[in-house]
Amino acid sequence: MKNKFLILNLFVLFILASCSDDDTKTTQEFVVAFENPSVSLTTEEETKEVKLVFSRNAAENGTATITYTTVNAEYDTHFTTNPASEEGTITVPVTAGSNSATFTLNKLQNPIEGTEMSVTFKLASISNPESSIQGNTSLAVSFTESAALGGVLSPDWGGSTYPNQVFIDLSSQKMTPIKRDTWELAFYSGSENRVFLNPALRVSAAELTQFTDINAVTSSTVFDPPLVINSFDLFTQSFNEVIVNSVEEYKVGVKVSYSVYEPYVDTSTGELEGTAISEIAVNDEENKVYLVYMGTEIEDTPAEPGKINTGSVDRGWYKIRVTMEGDSYKLKYAPLDATDYSEVLISKTPQYNSTAFSLTNNKALSVEPAKAEWDLNFSGVFATEIGTTYSDFVLHNTLGGTGVYEVVIEDGIKSYEDFTMSDVIEDSLVFDKKNIIGSGWRSTTGPSSSTPVSKNDRYYVLKDTDGNYYKIRFTALLSESGERGYPKFEYNLL
Amino acid sequence: MKQLTYLILFLTVSFGFAQKVQIMDSLVVNDLEEVVVTGQYNPQSVKKSVYEVTVISQADINRQAGNNLADVLNQTLNISILPNASTGKSSIKMFGLDGQYVKILVDNIPLVNDEGFGNNTDLTQINLDDIEHIEIVEGAMGVQYGADAVAGVINIITKKSANYKWQIRPYLQEETIGDEYGWFDKGRHIQSLSVSNNISEKLYANITATRNDFAGLWGDKQGESYQYNDGKRGYEWLPKLQYNTKGMLSYQAENMKMFYKFEYFNEKVSRYDSVVRENYNPSTQTRNPISSDEIFTSQRFMHHLNANGSFNSGILYNVSLSFQQQKKNAETYNYRILEEEKFDVAEFEYESRSIYYSKGTFSNFLNESAFDFQVGYEISQNEGYASSISGDYDGENIRRKIGSYDVFASAEYVPNSRLSFRPGARVFFSNKFDTQTALELSSKYLFKNKMEVRAVVGTAPRMPNFTELYSYFVDANHDVRGNEDLKPEEGISAFIHAKKIFEFQNNFSLRSKLSVGYIDVDDRIELIIVNSSPLAYQYTNIDKYKTWNVSFSNGFMYQNISGNLGISYSGVSKVLEGRNYDDDYLKALQLNASLSYSVPQWNTTFSTYFKHNGPEYQFLQDQDENGETILIRGKQDAYSWWDASIRKAFYNNKLQLTLGARNLLDVTRVNSTSVSGGVHSGPPSNVLLGYGRSYFIKLLYNLNFN
Repeated sequence: MKNKFLILNLFVLFILASCSDDDTKTTQEFVVAFENPSVSLTTEEETKEVKLVFSRNAAENGTATITYTTVNAEYDTHFTTNPASEEGTITVPVTAGSNSATFTLNKLQNPIEGTEMSVTFKLASISNPESSIQGNTSLAVSFTESAALGGVLSPDWGGSTYPNQVFIDLSSQKMTPIKRDTWELAFYSGSENRVFLNPALRVSAAELTQFTDINAVTSSTVFDPPLVINSFDLFTQSFNEVIVNSVEEYKVGVKVSYSVYEPYVDTSTGELEGTAISEIAVNDEENKVYLVYMGTEIEDTPAEPGKINTGSVDRGWYKIRVTMEGDSYKLKYAPLDATDYSEVLISKTPQYNSTAFSLTNNKALSVEPAKAEWDLNFSGVFATEIGTTYSDFVLHNTLGGTGVYEVVIEDGIKSYEDFTMSDVIEDSLVFDKKNIIGSGWRSTTGPSSSTPVSKNDRYYVLKDTDGNYYKIRFTALLSESGERGYPKFEYNLL
Repeated sequence: MKQLTYLILFLTVSFGFAQKVQIMDSLVVNDLEEVVVTGQYNPQSVKKSVYEVTVISQADINRQAGNNLADVLNQTLNISILPNASTGKSSIKMFGLDGQYVKILVDNIPLVNDEGFGNNTDLTQINLDDIEHIEIVEGAMGVQYGADAVAGVINIITKKSANYKWQIRPYLQEETIGDEYGWFDKGRHIQSLSVSNNISEKLYANITATRNDFAGLWGDKQGESYQYNDGKRGYEWLPKLQYNTKGMLSYQAENMKMFYKFEYFNEKVSRYDSVVRENYNPSTQTRNPISSDEIFTSQRFMHHLNANGSFNSGILYNVSLSFQQQKKNAETYNYRILEEEKFDVAEFEYESRSIYYSKGTFSNFLNESAFDFQVGYEISQNEGYASSISGDYDGENIRRKIGSYDVFASAEYVPNSRLSFRPGARVFFSNKFDTQTALELSSKYLFKNKMEVRAVVGTAPRMPNFTELYSYFVDANHDVRGNEDLKPEEGISAFIHAKKIFEFQNNFSLRSKLSVGYIDVDDRIELIIVNSSPLAYQYTNIDKYKTWNVSFSNGFMYQNISGNLGISYSGVSKVLEGRNYDDDYLKALQLNASLSYSVPQWNTTFSTYFKHNGPEYQFLQDQDENGETILIRGKQDAYSWWDASIRKAFYNNKLQLTLGARNLLDVTRVNSTSVSGGVHSGPPSNVLLGYGRSYFIKLLYNLNFN
């Protein structure tokens, strides 16, 4: 009898212990909002696409109902929408499986100069079950150009191979992506005569102090006397003396890597005096030939989730010599082992910070927008003077007059949401170091994981060239699938 | 925790009316004449063995409620268990040498795992539910057990017979993990059922199935559904679910024994990323937290067919044939935490080993008592696979077949009953490495005063692993390469053991053993800088490792009390060529003690186990205030394991209840300055060794009938 009782006990325990448990369920609600709180149309723009975003993919078809109020604007006279307004409401379809919806705003007339003309759209209702309206519940559309109130931007780095760098103007919400490998050198437009190297392509350059004749340098050129270089070893954190006998030997230490001998890359902070190429002298004899490492090619294959593939294939070696001709730069350049060279004159362009030049395509080009029309440079890849290369690097336009500082949230420091104009510390704004944001907005290693992630303990305050103050917070670094190179940030006008 | 208390109450009430029967707990009786097989021509008593064999008996394992090998080896002198909370693995360290130098055998043949065959074993994957005892031999045993048996051999001997026609043995074991316990998602839950049947006088069959659900240590962490990126998602120790099924069929005739053994093992380890991509959407003011998780599933199949006996000519044979395979599969996916939705699901083979194996020994050719010799072979066809994700292999999956074909011979010369010698040699032929050899000379002398002295000198190589051979991690900033030209490392060891049993009045007996050992590993493979500018690393045969060891252990019995007291003092010296390094011997101390007291009237045994691991030192490179590189002596603090249990039998030993506690001193992390950091990380300031004090209850039911 007792035995049976015990066996029964055991059985009960067996069954109990063999089941498994379920976690408590959490759910994602369906929220609809305007992507941005404000938008403005320039005089030339006639239509604007307005985007509604959802917190998750819609589970079923439905509609979003939008109402609007106007200032000095009338439907059908000054503007129309598509889908059209019926009795003051616009009905936008919500499609199952999608995570956004759009409608179009058409401008029929420009406002009379000096008068305000605007429409404010408001989300009134969503027909989908268990949905709500939250966040950007209304959208202010101005028919005159005005500084954006804020928004969400996803700069197009192009994924884990980072093919692009992206220039961003916050007030006009304009992003200008450009491929990283379209230029190697940039010639400063200001009064000093400076040449920048493209850090996004990992270009470096070393002065060949014994040479002013570009044709005299090839990879087999011997240094007489040999160069004695006091090189800093990143691993042992000490200086080593290196003897370099030839250009060929020198390549190892000029290339951007942990073993780079000296700062052959422009300083990360971006001061003019930190360029790897010395200031171009008016006296021709002082301008030496430089050995230029052309950086690494943009890769084709994306990296595994969380990882980067920013290149290991060298783009080769060039030699250059830059002199001044009047107020213009004269560039002589050739592949390292070429017997002949090309020559080009590059003039200064005062409305731009610099003029870029592609050695491989033999042409000058403007990479940056005009200097008053960008605030942030999402460089992506970024080589530093000690030979390390970062990804996810963000710079601001110090040469154009943009200032930035970082706010790390600690006790007594306001959160991003609570931060207002009165909290801005003018003196903290940094106008002379372009790497204040740098890669500090993300972390690539955690205590038990190597999944990189944007940090949520900090935000940035930026003063743009027009005197607008914005606060900026990064919200993502990876795509939903975990691929690197998909940054996202929000910003708000203070 | 509360739930465990209820469980204990529930069981106690159930047994409250248990009748008291005068029966000795058969497991308390300690058999001094244990029969051992490791390194023997034929199974024989510990005393006759030419090797010094340490035995962990089934009684010891039962008192510790040991379910897997990691549960019991913690208390053994000169052995440390290193758990890894982030992979779920527990690896062994013996004489300071890691799991690559220790060979783990089951019934005399190596057991496969994800990364190796006999070595590199994850001790938590070796279930002990069907075992008879464990044998440990210290020192290199290359002649008998081949490559990788450098620091020692651990041989797990399974049961091959039963005393009753039917033995049905279910058991349940509930454990806390630290102070965490819950019915399902916290604690450790083990259920096991073993059925044995003596089909006929000659035929025995057993099936054992065990489920071991280790729910992981939560600690400060919040599990899988946690949605914020503050490092709290996931587990401190990964949850792990194991299923183990073993079958044994043994046949016993007059001049031969045969057995066939089968095992299926399945393990699921879930790794939930602590990093949460919160994906805050400022437009909707909502978040879409996503994490990248991994689930690893390991499956092992093992078949082992063995025949041993004697031919009519008197020649003894022992032949094993085995096929073993262990495959670790990974499932990686991204997880929308709020929607509980997996996406980007990818499944692939992560690592695997597949092995065809045979070993045979033949002896007693002369049928003469003074002189005997043994010849043998050991061959294996080992197919290994490492996916590109499991290491840095330049994005390539590595699949390699390594065949090894060894022959060995030894001779045993026993001029009289006191003295014996055994020289031996093995030659390793391989399709991958140059031919290697291993040598050995063992000797034993029994003094008149009952003192036994054994001296063993042996060698064994260690074969390079995949990481060392095939790594390739070269990009703009790194250059780390494997080296296909690596030679096997060479291990040599010398041990002297002196043992004496003292018998006193009142049934007091003492068994004292003094051992002195020395192990030297030459051509150690290390990752070294082969070029400083540009910086390049490569695996190279370059370093030396030397360790000596003195241990003194005493086992005693007095009436119903038995126990053990041991001390071990060792020194480790490393020579790192090409680097500024100090080859001074770094000393370490270990102590162990156990005490067991049985009360026959109550059918109860009280036991306690204690092991102290003294501070361990290691030289590290650091910088002084002038930026000069200097060597400092890093230290890992001392720590101790203390376990205790009460074991009681009810109803004629039909029911056995074990209540106990592990890690009574609540060891978790131990401060350390002796671990150097990786290329991108600084040295950790502590080492994770345990999850804290935990309690267990085990209820076993023995149903025996004829």
